[in-house]
Amino acid sequence: MAIEKMSLVNILGSMDELDAALERCCRSGGFHIEPAFSPGEARGRLLNDKNCYTALLKRTAKLASDCGVTPVETDCRSLEGERAEDLEKRLESLEQELDVIRQTMQDADSRISELTAAAKHIKHLKGMNSDFQQLFSCKHVSVRIGKLPIGNYPKLEYYNDNFFFIAFESTKNFCWGMYFCPEDDKERVDDLFRSMYFERVILPRYVSGNADEASKKIADEIAQQEEIVKETEEKVGAFRKENEERIQQLFSRLLFLNRSFDLRKKVGAVSSGFGAKHFIIKGFVMKKQEKEFAKLFDDLETVDVSFLPPDADSGCTPPTVLKNSFLTRPYTMLVEMYGLPEYGGINPTAFVAITYTLLFGIMFGDLGQGLVLLLAGILLGKKLGPKAGGIVRRVGLSSMIFGTLYGSFFGYEEILDPVFEKLGVDFLPLKVFKQTNFILITAVGIGIGLILISMLINIYAGFKKKDYEKAIFGCNGICGLIFYGSVITGVVATVMFDVKIMSAPFVICLIVIPLICIFCRVPFSAAVKYKKWQLSEDGEPMTVGGFIVENFFEMFEFLLSYVSNTMSFLRVGGFVLSHAGMMLVVMTLMDGMSAVGKPMVLVIGNLFVMAMEGMIVAIQIIRLEFYEMFSRFYDSGGKPFEPIDLSFSSQIEQ
Amino acid sequence: MLKGYSMNATVAKIRAIHGKMFTAAQYHELLLKGSVSECAEYLAQSPRYKDVFRDTDPNTIHRGYLEELLHQQMYDTYVRICEFQQLDQVPYYRFLIGRGEIDSILLMINNINSGLENSFLVNLPGHMIKRARINVLEMSRAESFDELLSVLKGTIYYKPLSKVRVDASGKAEYTDCELALRKSYFETLLEYVDKDFNGSEQKEIEDIIYFEIDTMNIINAYRMKKYFGYSSERIKQSIITISGKPVGKLAEYFEIEDPDQMMAWISRSRYGKSHRETDIIETIIVSSRYQWLNHVLASTVSAPVALYAFMRLCAVEISNIVSIIEAVRYGADAAAVEKDMLIF
Repeated sequence: MAIEKMSLVNILGSMDELDAALERCCRSGGFHIEPAFSPGEARGRLLNDKNCYTALLKRTAKLASDCGVTPVETDCRSLEGERAEDLEKRLESLEQELDVIRQTMQDADSRISELTAAAKHIKHLKGMNSDFQQLFSCKHVSVRIGKLPIGNYPKLEYYNDNFFFIAFESTKNFCWGMYFCPEDDKERVDDLFRSMYFERVILPRYVSGNADEASKKIADEIAQQEEIVKETEEKVGAFRKENEERIQQLFSRLLFLNRSFDLRKKVGAVSSGFGAKHFIIKGFVMKKQEKEFAKLFDDLETVDVSFLPPDADSGCTPPTVLKNSFLTRPYTMLVEMYGLPEYGGINPTAFVAITYTLLFGIMFGDLGQGLVLLLAGILLGKKLGPKAGGIVRRVGLSSMIFGTLYGSFFGYEEILDPVFEKLGVDFLPLKVFKQTNFILITAVGIGIGLILISMLINIYAGFKKKDYEKAIFGCNGICGLIFYGSVITGVVATVMFDVKIMSAPFVICLIVIPLICIFCRVPFSAAVKYKKWQLSEDGEPMTVGGFIVENFFEMFEFLLSYVSNTMSFLRVGGFVLSHAGMMLVVMTLMDGMSAVGKPMVLVIGNLFVMAMEGMIVAIQIIRLEFYEMFSRFYDSGGKPFEPIDLSFSSQIEQ
Repeated sequence: MLKGYSMNATVAKIRAIHGKMFTAAQYHELLLKGSVSECAEYLAQSPRYKDVFRDTDPNTIHRGYLEELLHQQMYDTYVRICEFQQLDQVPYYRFLIGRGEIDSILLMINNINSGLENSFLVNLPGHMIKRARINVLEMSRAESFDELLSVLKGTIYYKPLSKVRVDASGKAEYTDCELALRKSYFETLLEYVDKDFNGSEQKEIEDIIYFEIDTMNIINAYRMKKYFGYSSERIKQSIITISGKPVGKLAEYFEIEDPDQMMAWISRSRYGKSHRETDIIETIIVSSRYQWLNHVLASTVSAPVALYAFMRLCAVEISNIVSIIEAVRYGADAAAVEKDMLIF
């Protein structure tokens, strides 16, 4: 239940070595940076310089995209020590080389789009047999080509103006064609056509010949231009082949520098005597990595690294790193889902790992299905990540163990009977439907046990934090533990074993007094901690009546939660029965099938039960963990440990 | 013919299309556009108008053409609904085409009176040419009211127009023509209703038509009083009345001498229930009608009622969009435009 110990690090050095210091912080892979100064602090200010690498990085990304290079992390140590100006020169030389090739391609592309637009218009003028150039060069006749809304086409016949319109093609909404009019009447006729929403199309000068000839010429030229594009693409390919490594190195280096420059926003600047400027970087490293971390800065002359206790600076909250073994590590996923504990709090991962695995096995006990889960966990580990895969593997194994105890193998409940007979174990396998009461009572018993353990953890955590209300007087503290334990003991002894232990002294000492302590937990804990009497937690004035009413309802809630949380564990037994019941349905269905259908029903039935029930059981246990157990002892609110990392993949091994 | 034949599918279809109508939020978004092209782009991407804008280029579209496309969309929707269960075979369901025909005739009368060459052809919506039952293009050749009448001979519009007084120059008063045509339109429509429908459905359709006549009369009477100082008698002669149906509750309104009192009367009546904070009578009346039609459309199970209500709502929607596009085009204040729009 441990949390990794942290150290507060102060790195102080000359401004000249800031980049190198930041680079080493990143390289360490375990440095969690914090702002060096709080806003308004008089000792110094945070650096807020303009990032000179952003523009260069964008240009490099564009260069990479233009020549079809996908940036990947590349060893760029050869560029270490180069300044922004040097890197820009490298970039410029690559850009110039590529620009020469790409200019030809851009010219060809723009010519193709121009030609395609012209071809699109000419396509609508199919059947026009005169030469466009000849038509446009007429001295006394004006020609206009374009499209007229189809609804207005019949109107043309009713105009008495001096023009004629030749229609070439009609679409749903437009009629394509050209009109002719005397040069002198051009303006009036143009106005008339404009009033009918005629949209004129201006053909480029190079369009010559009739419509068919023009189309052919344009198609030929498009083909020529496409050939140029193809040749240029080959040249770009050659450029890529020749320069890919240089581009990748440049990109990786600039990306690193750009990100490390962004980190400067958390770096403080302090002035020392004689006008010299120094930087200060503040952050956290794991205590066990102190020496290794300090060693990274040995070669920097002006840089000094000092380690302090994690709570040395009140402005910085230490981050939380959960310390877990190989067996429990995957379950950090569930703990993080609820929220990390505060630094110095309790790491509940081991508790979750044990209870989750145990409960899953009980609720989903089947040797065969557990084996499938185990195998699925191995495969899922590669697809969904090591944590999800790890949990599935562990619960699969637990399911196999409990499946063996239940004698269940893919729904066959008698298949393991001979094995146990041969071993001489007569109390196994556990026949679920024959021992229903035992299963349900055991489930509640497990629940009681887990609730009591949760209370014990809470007491430990309370004492650790010197929170006496939590540890002694709270409903999950010592008083709560005595009350809950005594009531359970009394009920079990009286009902199950017929032992009359609920005597007056037992009730007064172990039930009534703890209840009074819980009722008065606020004034009692204040008396212990501050040696003074107060009814409210924050010392605000409160009447005795108000105190009684408030605590009466809270007591009611506490008592109700003891009962409901205990009964909630009935679901563990319920799912044991439900799992066996569902498999019984599969077996019944199978009985009614032919020889071919039976294996199909068996496989589909098992897959269905595994998918549906596996999912429900997983969710129900999370619910039990979070509501019935975590709520008794766990305080989230911790800060995640986020080591700075400037590599492409930001996953950090913890 | 259609008695006993379920029109529930048509009602459901109308409600489905009604669900795609522009909301106040969409009007607001449209109003925030910077140019007509951006408005066209927005409309072209909306589920309601994307079909009609399919082949158009929002960057080059003319504002007038954009408005024409909006009207075309309304007619396309109307035709699609009518063809869905062959309702177009019933005379009543030609009510929207009839309205378009009257607008075309009035456009031509205005053209003749103003003497503007070609203005009729320029303003005639292209989609009316193929949909109208009269030869609208042939009307463009008329140079006088008599020539127009000869083109319209044999149509239902000849009789009402032939009664209109013509002056010495061969021109007919526009407002007289409009009154005659609108009166004839509603009378004919009510005759169709009487013939094709019965019971509560007939009553429901008549209600919706009379409500529209009343709102038109209320607006016209207010304008005549406020801007031209017409007497009550003159107003009564200039409003739409239906044979056998007296002006009824509105008689009291037409007697009011002061336009402000007229407005007060409106605010107390069912025609002014929009509670819009504006002094523009069209906004007040049409907003009330818009609310009422929405209510009718939501509650009715009758296809003719639903279609009539829906088409009137579409007209309001187009009017709003056109106002917004004009506002965007001329850089009007968005808040002021929104205040006077006909939306609820």
